[in-house]
Amino acid sequence: MNIIADLKKVATKSPWLYRINAGSCNGCDVELATTACIPRYDVERLGCQYCGSPRHADIVLITGPLTARVKDAVLRLWEEIPDPKVTVAVGVCPISGGIFRESYAVHAPIDRYLPVDVNVPGCPPRPQAIIEGVAKAIELWREKL
Amino acid sequence: MNFLSLLFRNLKNGPSTEAFPFGPARTPARFRGRIAFDAPSCEGCKLCERVCPANAIKFTKSADGLAFDCWHDTCVFCGNCEFYCPTKSIRQTTDWHLAHTQAEKYTMVEHGLIPNMKCVECGATALDTAPNVAKVKPAMAAEEVAELRARCPKCRAKFLKARRAKP
Repeated sequence: MNIIADLKKVATKSPWLYRINAGSCNGCDVELATTACIPRYDVERLGCQYCGSPRHADIVLITGPLTARVKDAVLRLWEEIPDPKVTVAVGVCPISGGIFRESYAVHAPIDRYLPVDVNVPGCPPRPQAIIEGVAKAIELWREKL
Repeated sequence: MNFLSLLFRNLKNGPSTEAFPFGPARTPARFRGRIAFDAPSCEGCKLCERVCPANAIKFTKSADGLAFDCWHDTCVFCGNCEFYCPTKSIRQTTDWHLAHTQAEKYTMVEHGLIPNMKCVECGATALDTAPNVAKVKPAMAAEEVAELRARCPKCRAKFLKARRAKP
């Protein structure tokens, strides 16, 4: 029992991030890459790391307004992420649709299809705002564990 | 030996990583962030609602007056509203701390109310909007603007006409 508690302590230090692009214009994706790759922002200080497989992920960052074309793929990907997971909507598109709101090709807001935990509005949000959102997501994730 | 000077320079300058979220973050002075609305100086022209590409700004008429609402979760921070506002009562602040949990999603609203008032001349109910006096010649004094403000749109026109007629 003790070992499990100790392991939990270690494991909660490093949530892995996974990006889903739900038909984004790439603006938010560039900002997400910036937060991880540029030493000035460096999201890895929080113990986060981008991973390539949804099965390794703890925190999922969704960008884009969930276009009709990628909707099924996004929902399938999101299902593949093991629980407990924290969903972060990055940019105004997944939160409300933003500039694409009420378009026929867009299924935003994304919280109609999957439970979102943290919203980071902005078009795109600046890297510090994304770090702030990730910090909030880590807190929620620790509560969920 | 070039690497030595590089090493010393890096040691002297310290890490280039910003302290945020453990410390304050640098924000540019002209950063386009959260919308702020100042109801007393608003003219009520609704131009911001018209130019907003994301339909974030909404004016609703009620018994209390004209309500202004800007939802930050759909605002794209383009600055059109600030650019077109004739009285500069809507502007963008440098605040970018907008990340929030799902429970707060529908509270991320900038709200303002232009109240109703009674016209001092005819007693009709009208909105207490700021009069646009930038182009009035000769320029109006503050007391005159206050006098003009207490009137309904029709009486304002009459007031200005009488003022022009004065020698």
